[in-house]
Amino acid sequence: MHLQIRQASKAYAGIPALIDAALDLHGGEALGLVGENGAGKSTLIKLLAGLEAPDSLEVRLNGARVTIPDSAAARRLGLRFIHQELAIVPALNVAENLFLNNPLPRIGGAFVNRAALYKLAREAMRRLGIDHIDLRQRASLLSPGDAMLVKIASAFIGADDQQQLIYIMDEPTAALNQAEAELLYAVIDRLRARGCALLVVTHRLHELFRIAQRVTVMRDGMVVNTHKITETSAGELIHEMTGSSAAHLPPAADKVKSEATDDRPLLRARYLQTDALSAASFHLRAGEIVGVAGLAGAGRSQLLQALMGIDKLRAGTIELDGEALRNPAPAVCWEQGIAYLPEERRSQGLLLGGRISHNMTLPHLGRFRRWLAMIDRRAEDRRSQQLSRSVQLRATGIQQRLRELSGGNQQKVMFARAVLAKPRLVLLDEPTRGVDVGAKRDIYRLIRELAAGGAGILLVSSELDELLALCGRILIMRNRRLVGEASTAELDERALLSLMFAGLPHLPTPSSKHQGRGAQSNKINSDARFLTA
Amino acid sequence: MSQRPHLSSFLRRYGTLIGFLAIVLFFWTQRPQTFMTLPNWVNITRQMSILGVVAFTMTIVMVTGDFDLSVGAMASLVGIVAGSAFQNGGGVGQAVALALLVGVAGGALNGLLVAGVGISAFVATLGTLTVFRGLALYTSSGASIYGRVIPAEFSSFGRGAIVIGELSIPNLTLLAALALALVFVILRFTIFGRRLYAIGGNREAARFGGIRIARLRMLSFVISGLGAAAAGLMLFSRLSTAHPTQGEGLMLQAIAAVFLGMTMNEEAQPNVLGSLVGVLILGVLANGLTQMQIDTYIQQILTGVIIILAVTLSSLSQQGLRAPEWLRRLLPERGEAA
Amino acid sequence: MRKLSLLLVLLLAIGGAAFAQDAPTIAVMTPFLAQPGTQLMVEGFEAAAADKGWQVNVIDTSEDIAALVSRMEDVALQGVDAIVINVDPTQIEPGLHAAADAGIPVFGLDSGAHPLLATNVTSNGYTMAAETATYVVDRLNGAGNVVMFIFEPYPPVQKRGAIAQAIFDNTPDISIMDAITPSFDNGPLEGARNAMEAVLLAHPEAGSISAVWAAWDDPALGALQAIEDAGRADEGIVVVGIDATDQARDAIARGSNFEATVAQDFGGMAARVADLVEAHLGGMMSAQVNHYVPARLVTQADLMG
Repeated sequence: MHLQIRQASKAYAGIPALIDAALDLHGGEALGLVGENGAGKSTLIKLLAGLEAPDSLEVRLNGARVTIPDSAAARRLGLRFIHQELAIVPALNVAENLFLNNPLPRIGGAFVNRAALYKLAREAMRRLGIDHIDLRQRASLLSPGDAMLVKIASAFIGADDQQQLIYIMDEPTAALNQAEAELLYAVIDRLRARGCALLVVTHRLHELFRIAQRVTVMRDGMVVNTHKITETSAGELIHEMTGSSAAHLPPAADKVKSEATDDRPLLRARYLQTDALSAASFHLRAGEIVGVAGLAGAGRSQLLQALMGIDKLRAGTIELDGEALRNPAPAVCWEQGIAYLPEERRSQGLLLGGRISHNMTLPHLGRFRRWLAMIDRRAEDRRSQQLSRSVQLRATGIQQRLRELSGGNQQKVMFARAVLAKPRLVLLDEPTRGVDVGAKRDIYRLIRELAAGGAGILLVSSELDELLALCGRILIMRNRRLVGEASTAELDERALLSLMFAGLPHLPTPSSKHQGRGAQSNKINSDARFLTA
Repeated sequence: MSQRPHLSSFLRRYGTLIGFLAIVLFFWTQRPQTFMTLPNWVNITRQMSILGVVAFTMTIVMVTGDFDLSVGAMASLVGIVAGSAFQNGGGVGQAVALALLVGVAGGALNGLLVAGVGISAFVATLGTLTVFRGLALYTSSGASIYGRVIPAEFSSFGRGAIVIGELSIPNLTLLAALALALVFVILRFTIFGRRLYAIGGNREAARFGGIRIARLRMLSFVISGLGAAAAGLMLFSRLSTAHPTQGEGLMLQAIAAVFLGMTMNEEAQPNVLGSLVGVLILGVLANGLTQMQIDTYIQQILTGVIIILAVTLSSLSQQGLRAPEWLRRLLPERGEAA
Repeated sequence: MRKLSLLLVLLLAIGGAAFAQDAPTIAVMTPFLAQPGTQLMVEGFEAAAADKGWQVNVIDTSEDIAALVSRMEDVALQGVDAIVINVDPTQIEPGLHAAADAGIPVFGLDSGAHPLLATNVTSNGYTMAAETATYVVDRLNGAGNVVMFIFEPYPPVQKRGAIAQAIFDNTPDISIMDAITPSFDNGPLEGARNAMEAVLLAHPEAGSISAVWAAWDDPALGALQAIEDAGRADEGIVVVGIDATDQARDAIARGSNFEATVAQDFGGMAARVADLVEAHLGGMMSAQVNHYVPARLVTQADLMG
């Protein structure tokens, strides 16, 4: 099988997003596609999926010219897509969600054959090696990682094992933790072995070296280069993506690493309990960056939401600078100097239709008050401009609408919002997810500057290297509990991973070797001192 | 090439306004002696003043993504309340204060149900609509209140005008202008207004961003109740009659006007200047079509068709393409029509 | 948007097809065109106007009084030659003033009297109500329980109720069980039907309801449906209405419980108003506040003949 893509071009409102791109997909091969945000990867995929009308596009399947006017045509050609945005309907159950983009099995032409629906759904999930998700569970109850797995599984509905299809995946592992990602890698390997062709867009370079045979680099809407994976390196790819030799990770040995500037705890949380969190106790000093690690669904986001007063506190106390924070609610917490970057910046953080300045000042409007109720727009604009510069925002101006910005720049707006009022405590939930390499570097710098300025930072991340490089201590969460903490001085990625996994009932095979490490497990037990205190 | 996006965004924003001007031009040419005259426009503004007040305050509620279906029934109820006050020997001040209080209380009830209890605005205000209507019918025993019980200064206000030289501006028009200015300032320049738009833009993000959503939604319903009460008093004063169902036509028209106004905003957000144009479109259509002696039922059909067309065109140009092929052929290409 | 306006112009051009400008133009304005009686009057007026060579503009605002006032202001500005209204004039005073300011005479067509009206043509509501109420009294031999359907907000109908009530009150052995104002939400017919169903349920024993007196035909028809659906058509409940609509005539003709109605002479009223308008345009003002056009009782016997 051979899919040739030539002369793919598309401009939005006169601004080119994709310029004459060309790709080749072969059966039995996974092609990686990398590039910074805005490089044109998602646009290319939308053209192939028939979701956008191309300005020009030539596609040949096994030499024959084909057209893709709509998504049904793409499906007929054997193309299967896993798109970046979560397309999950919360009110439907898991199995029904699996069939959102697939023809439902029917009885008598009009009625859904539910038995067949569940059978096909089960097969698709098994193909992915997922057995921990209840097919009848409502999708609204899924963790983001599980929701992503469901979405991925939907691309495997009704695919019999002989069929050779073309799978196109846009950031499939963005919301997945390492173990879940391993499940996907195994599936990719199996599909490839069967003769399917795969195109995988990713920001995680290391995963390319695990799954891809060739890798194509895009920059500014154009294809820059294509390498055999064995003949390239992460450094070279980054160089081609950014046009510079920027290191995409902060130097691990950086000693600025969150040494507390003060011994008095800034934040002391005791026995925090919400509907989604059990008895979490920890403390945080000013100037300290503390990581929160755990598998998806371990309760990391819920810990931040408890601190922010988003989830109702059933029990426990929060002290900020020695003062109790009673009845926390987001409005109160912002006023108290707690800043928060939620995990889903599009649905939970940003007003996508709003202007940059309005997004930055949203929680701080009280600071721009004049004449009783009016907004001092001049002061607002001035402050927004200042912040745009300090977070190195790339935009046409502070009046630009958020939806026109790339993911990385959107996240910088969230950072600007967080730092506007010199926060005492900053809660960050996956601050670098779906963010390109250049923006990532800027975000790391911002986090460090915040800590250096005396703010305490609680950082939730699925990127272990990021946690290890930025944090002095890492809190470990499992099954909605805070089970302990570890100092990063003694940790590497594998050790951290094993801490996250320990005790998990269904441990996936790729990581099972960590389970046996007695020394690590002991460490967790010894660190679990808060729980009994 | 670089001009195209500007043109299409111009059309997107001003298409409805251009349509409005086209309608005006059309009536002008058809009825040259009567339509484009000062008395007629004064007439139109007076006729639309009551709907205007309802639509402007409704805009505030719709900015947060809610609806208030109870405004028409509230306007009727308020007329009956004020009329009953007159019947019981109350003065103008007392009657007006009582009526406005009823509006605030009704709005607070709506807000409590929607923002406090968490019932959808549609269901909650549909319920209060029926309650308000029932209260109006019960209080009045279904009969109109009119005649000598209504103080002359109250009924003369609705028919009165402020005369400046040649120009006489109806009191009701002035009230509507005042409401327009107030709502404009609230939505455009105050912290409250900005927060309302945040709630409408992304409710969860607004909450996570520290906005007290329940409180603000509640307040927006109170304003809408107050607006409905003011409109009810204006209607009572204009007609010198309080009938227990006389305001019911206001609700659908107000929502239609706000929708028409939303077509004039790039982000399809409710905005009060747009609502003003929406109100004027409805007013000019009714006035002009009557003058042209178009069958009144055809008038309704035309008005509905125009609302649907405006919203359809705007949403198509907003989504950009992906309309069915046959429809795309019918419509002007983006950016090329002008 | 260009195409939108083009379409609009096209539609309007069709709707507003050319008409004679020099012939007198009369606006007929009502919020009640959906009511059969109003329809008959408007049709009668249009016929009479056609004979006289007038241009008639019928405006209905679907029960919206405020809108009717606005439309009156519009036609006053437009400058029609006369306005004929079928609505309570006290509720549309600003419109009457607008017409008066423009020097346009306004005629009531079964609307009620008002100082700002040139004159009003109507049936004598008192005598109509007396006709059906005495019919009920006679049929019951002066004894029984009567359900009344009334409508207070509209004076011409209100006075019918008052007269019927006086006649029933004046008959010692007749008692009024209930005086119901039917809900207009789904039309008075449906409203009366629902109300009558409730009354029937409340009084299940045969003979407990002797008669239904309705101030106009729609509630009488609704009550009739309720009685028939409840299987109580054979109890001899006497149903009477007023106005003699086609539906009422059919019900009476087939020998149902609906026994009598009063035929207002809608055509006659419309013709009379047209004559008065013509006289007025010719300079003859009427000094009479109300012109009454006689009405007559309609029973099965009348319809057979």
